[in-house]
Amino acid sequence: MSVARLPRLLLAAGVLLVALVPLLTPNTYIQNMLILTFVLAILASGWNVMAGFTGYVSLGHAAFIGVGAYTGGILAAHWEVSPLLVAPLGGVAAALVAFVLGLVTRRTRGAAFVIVSFAMLELLGLITRNWTSLTNGSNGFLMPLPGWDLRFQNWPFYYALLFLLLLSVAMTAGIRRSKLGLGLMAIRDDEVKAEGIGVVTSVYKSIAFMASAVLIGVAGTVYGYYVSFLDTSAMFDISLSMEVVLAALIGGRGTVWGPVLGAFLLQPLTEVTNTTMGGAHAGAFRLVLFGGLIVVVTLLLPRGILPEAQDFLRRRRKTSPTGTRLADSAIPAAPSSPRLEALAGRGGDLLRIGNVSRRFGGVTALDEVSFGVPQGSITALIGPNGSGKTTLFNVVDGTYRAGAGGVEYGGRDISKVGRARRAFLGIGRTYQLPRLFDSLTVLENVAAATGEFRFSRLARSAVSGAEAARAAELLEFVGMGEYVAAKAKDLSYGQRKLVELAQILMLDPAIILLDEPAAGINPTLVKRLAALIRTLNNSGRTFVIVEHDMHFVMSLSDPVVALARGRVIAAGTPAEVCDDPAVLDAYLGDDFVLEADTIGSAR
Amino acid sequence: MTFLLQTLILGALVGGVYALMSSGFTLTFGVMRIINLAHPAMLVLSAYLTWWLWRRTGVDPLLAGVGICVIMYGVGWLLYRAVISRVQRIDPELTLVASFGVAVAAGGIMAFIWGTEVRTATPSYFNTSYEVGSLLIPRAQLFACAGALLLLGALYALLHGTFLGRGIRACATNRDGAALVGIDVDRMMAQTFAIGAATTGFGGAALSVLYQFVPDSHFVWIGRVLCVVILGGLGSFAGVGLGALVLGIGEALTASYFDVRWATAVPYVLIIAILVIRPQGLIRRRLRTDGALP
Repeated sequence: MSVARLPRLLLAAGVLLVALVPLLTPNTYIQNMLILTFVLAILASGWNVMAGFTGYVSLGHAAFIGVGAYTGGILAAHWEVSPLLVAPLGGVAAALVAFVLGLVTRRTRGAAFVIVSFAMLELLGLITRNWTSLTNGSNGFLMPLPGWDLRFQNWPFYYALLFLLLLSVAMTAGIRRSKLGLGLMAIRDDEVKAEGIGVVTSVYKSIAFMASAVLIGVAGTVYGYYVSFLDTSAMFDISLSMEVVLAALIGGRGTVWGPVLGAFLLQPLTEVTNTTMGGAHAGAFRLVLFGGLIVVVTLLLPRGILPEAQDFLRRRRKTSPTGTRLADSAIPAAPSSPRLEALAGRGGDLLRIGNVSRRFGGVTALDEVSFGVPQGSITALIGPNGSGKTTLFNVVDGTYRAGAGGVEYGGRDISKVGRARRAFLGIGRTYQLPRLFDSLTVLENVAAATGEFRFSRLARSAVSGAEAARAAELLEFVGMGEYVAAKAKDLSYGQRKLVELAQILMLDPAIILLDEPAAGINPTLVKRLAALIRTLNNSGRTFVIVEHDMHFVMSLSDPVVALARGRVIAAGTPAEVCDDPAVLDAYLGDDFVLEADTIGSAR
Repeated sequence: MTFLLQTLILGALVGGVYALMSSGFTLTFGVMRIINLAHPAMLVLSAYLTWWLWRRTGVDPLLAGVGICVIMYGVGWLLYRAVISRVQRIDPELTLVASFGVAVAAGGIMAFIWGTEVRTATPSYFNTSYEVGSLLIPRAQLFACAGALLLLGALYALLHGTFLGRGIRACATNRDGAALVGIDVDRMMAQTFAIGAATTGFGGAALSVLYQFVPDSHFVWIGRVLCVVILGGLGSFAGVGLGALVLGIGEALTASYFDVRWATAVPYVLIIAILVIRPQGLIRRRLRTDGALP
């Protein structure tokens, strides 16, 4: 326990020391250096929310400083008040710009976003330069002189920025622990999958982007007031953006304190180069140094100082978790489900596929497919590769829109409902190759899933409390309870399948779509999986299973639907479908014999 | 009417140069999925080399540019081996950041060597024009555009007529498949990167004659090059021609009919607009996740 507390004590001591600096020394040089460090740290900390957590790397973050500074400056001049008073409005302006930037990510991600962020920075700089009537253009904008007694030196700037920095760290730490933060990291690892487990990516991203920019905007006004003269090229500066990226990179992207650490390492370096090298060469030298540092860090320390250090400590402390053999443990009772209680006694078809067609260019993947999934059933979907089974899953869970026809769920047409909303309605889906968020732990993978959207729930802690308890319970149920702390990327293929099942159980689904659950895993695990499915089914959950393992399918399912070339060629009980000549011809083969005892053991 | 025609001709001529400047960038992206932000820095480096050679020997800058392609081929190969390939192995997502670092450092090095004064190469035909009726066709722009189109033709022939080109295109479509049929993928990647860099040789030479430049100019060129490739659809080779034309004419029209000060904003506005409205680019129907070259 004391070992865990040590870093915290050190941090507290460090913060206290930094807070006391202006009182201990009247040296304005040191104050100035720390003020600039705070600004860089606030920038890097905000950048981290967008790039480190959410995975949208930005080269334009310096623009939020400029937006904040000019907004604050112009408003302060207009209302004739202190810029410190209107600083929050600088934050609002920056958040609005970030929101608009976030809208772009609805259609672009990855490399394209970097480009947009760069374009935003340059464009805003140009607008500021050219809109002379408002900003005084390239002649620069003059902020008022500080109104306080000279004895106080730069204290108001110093403490305002220190406060903003601590606020920024607190916000980052809060996001990191919250349901929102898990959703953001899920977006970073696999945005498409995240939407399928109830992460409303557009809302999450908008919040993250605004959170990323708002404090930078406030700091921008304070910083602008501090430098007292706003120059367009210094306020919308690509090399400041570069320092931000570098600081976060050095300290560690995706960690709470990493970007701050990076800023405190980097800013003194800037000062050293400025003082040791004079004139024009200082600028050139700084570029070579920082550009070179970026290259060196990406090559030698790609994850940053903090993650490497944490890994080092973890390796020393304990080995990775090993569980008991899965097959040895009994299947626990199925987890409780509020949703099923509401659905109980409805009867009839829970899911109806009505004349669904879907084409990809010249390929007709689904051709007027119609069938129903009775509530409480385990419906199997069989057919040769390329017959449209996975495409059908994609249409049901909303990954694709049906080209024609409709999907009805619980008596309601859901053809136009988005993916996350379908997860909220109770549709859970696993993938043929399990898709987990590799950088998250097993527990976080499960806790990231959410069966409803409420702003209040976003703020909830995901690593402790009710959410985490529920996730742990579900992992216990699938038999992965001893792996909660393991990273998803360290799991075996079979384990990933189980975790993915637990993950969608977090949605409290009424219907579960399993894409080849038994493929590629050992026979003991297949048996266990079948037992899990049966237990969940007995508790009222409906299943649709795509599977090639006929004994697995036949022992579990009723009814069975056979697809070939995008059409339903047979549907009925396992025995009926197995005897159907069309199915034998298209899929099973003439020599297929279904063992009687497997059918007998169904249910 | 003459004025409009004049503007369009100027825009189109510049567009041809833009196309060559961006072709290497889109080649690297199409084949290797790398956004190489050091590409524009290589353009400016070529411009400096051209300018320096021209000052020293008086050789025609555009002719010198053809030779500088060879130098830039070497620079590209070296950059790939020393930095890009290594970062790709460590974390592909960081390649873009690393290439940005290279660009920034290169800007500093150029400032050390050549200073931060504004440069431009002014050969005898600089600022002279052919008169066709009432239209003026500036010689420098015409020569630069013609040279760019010739080199683009050569690049096309290289990609479609040689074994190397087939290998590169195979890697673009399916890297694993290419490896399976015996193509040395790593060598192809190095070649692609080096060829992409080589295109900046003449591109930079044209830059040195048509524009003023300082070491930091590569940031402006990041905007222009990105705009061209985004307009055309990232990685699309044919799209580059269209994107370059749109940007060249767009800039010329803005400068002539609106305000010169806003002409520099054209690339950024186009980038944001196209990524919001049609992220796959003007001519591509869908953003493909695998292959890229047509």
